[in-house]
Amino acid sequence: MAEERAPSLLESITEFSENASPLDFMVILEHWDLFAEGLWMTTNLVVLALLIGGCLSIPLAVARANRTPILNQIIWGYVYVFRGTPLLVQLYLIYYGLGQFEAVRDSILWPVLRDPWWCALIAFTLNTAAYTTEIFRGSIEAVPFGEVEAAKACGMPRLKRLQRVILPSAFRRSLPAYSNEVIFMLHGSVVASTVTIVDILGAGRELNAKYYLAYEGFIAAAVLYMILVYFISRGFKFWEKKWFAHLRPREDAEAEAKQPGAAAPQTALVR
Amino acid sequence: MAESAAGQAAEKTTLRVEDIHKSFGSLEVLKGLSLDAGDGDVIALIGSSGSGKSTFLRCINLLEIPDAGRVYLRGELIEMTKTKQGETRPADRKQVDRIRSRLGMVFQSFNLWSHMTILQNVMEGPVHVLARSKPEAKDQAMALLDKVGIADKAGAYPSHLSGGQQQRAAIARALAMDPDVMLFDEPTSALDPELVGEVLRVMRQLAEEGRTMIVVTHEMGFARDVASHVIFLHEGRVEEEGAPDAMFGNAQSPRFRQFLATTRN
Repeated sequence: MAEERAPSLLESITEFSENASPLDFMVILEHWDLFAEGLWMTTNLVVLALLIGGCLSIPLAVARANRTPILNQIIWGYVYVFRGTPLLVQLYLIYYGLGQFEAVRDSILWPVLRDPWWCALIAFTLNTAAYTTEIFRGSIEAVPFGEVEAAKACGMPRLKRLQRVILPSAFRRSLPAYSNEVIFMLHGSVVASTVTIVDILGAGRELNAKYYLAYEGFIAAAVLYMILVYFISRGFKFWEKKWFAHLRPREDAEAEAKQPGAAAPQTALVR
Repeated sequence: MAESAAGQAAEKTTLRVEDIHKSFGSLEVLKGLSLDAGDGDVIALIGSSGSGKSTFLRCINLLEIPDAGRVYLRGELIEMTKTKQGETRPADRKQVDRIRSRLGMVFQSFNLWSHMTILQNVMEGPVHVLARSKPEAKDQAMALLDKVGIADKAGAYPSHLSGGQQQRAAIARALAMDPDVMLFDEPTSALDPELVGEVLRVMRQLAEEGRTMIVVTHEMGFARDVASHVIFLHEGRVEEEGAPDAMFGNAQSPRFRQFLATTRN
């Protein structure tokens, strides 16, 4: 007499996941460490590229906005090349292309340039720096001229003007465009998975390759990207609130606006 | 004003400006303008638009670089030099910054720093140019805001203020540097008529306290009542100048008479 053992909870969930559910979510859960690793890889690549690229872009944007002779043209060329070509091509050129040159293979940089992680970081950094340079250049040029003159008139030296008036004003103006750049960079970072890096998409690809389960891997990846974007946009919203105080209507203006017949508050820039 | 050796007079005068020339392209805007301001003088620069009065004022603190001429502040000459292309440039940027910090400027369009509160606007120069401590600068800023009557707006941003309040904040910002001379570039021209009075009142008060002021203005009443010396410019030259009573009571130049006739309503 065979004993009919009641299936455990885990067994029944697994059973449901494998046979009834359109998505075998237990496979994803079993490989959570793979996705965690991918999440970490994507995050650290993107954050490092944004930090380094962002820092690089500030002097580049200033030189562009000031029309500094020679530098301006060189930076224009750099920005044009990196905005004019797909990120994937840039990554391939750095990862596969540079290795063709013996001089590169013999150089002390080779340990860096043969590592896909470093190649991805270099490509991402140069790419985001190019886009960010253009964003910052535009907002530096849009700083009201009178505010710069007021800084001159009170005797602020050039660097102080930049630090106290021009850049703070420009950064605020850049924020909405820059939040897009951050999200584009995150999505663009999937190209890392094509040079053997296991990022979020790489984890999905591995699942697909192992079990031929396309949905499971890629939907898990998509969800992880969406979660990251959620936090990014929340972060920017907080930042905008803090930095755009000068564009918000006054508290008393808000109160007035609630009364019928009062002028609507100007909330154009605060969503 | 009596002519004397430039150096000697420059020692005594607070601000001395000599023979300023300025062209924009082929258009000569200033054709040799000079002025002397002693301590407590209020000089009104008047003239129709295009007469060069704002450009002249902006040449004093080098927001426009004059092609020729000399500016002395308390006897110190702002050193100028020529580039290879023949353009005039200040020889020493540090000197220019130092002189500018002693020439407070008030603009037609206020030009408050929009990302800073009113209090931060007023503290900015003392803290970041004069290297004063923040608590000290804050006390001084609050006192100045109180003086111009907007202490209750200290925490507000410029866009939350009326034009008159913004201009008074801009005056407080200029005063915070404790300048030797205040330069006013049409301070009431961008204001609604009902807001002009509050700004003029503050300026009148400053004049009474003995501030040295150079004021480009269209307010003839202000020029007549407050100025100690009036200069009427026409096409980049001094057409007539003198004490306001003599100028307005008994104008010599037909152009000035005509100008007065058109500005009087």
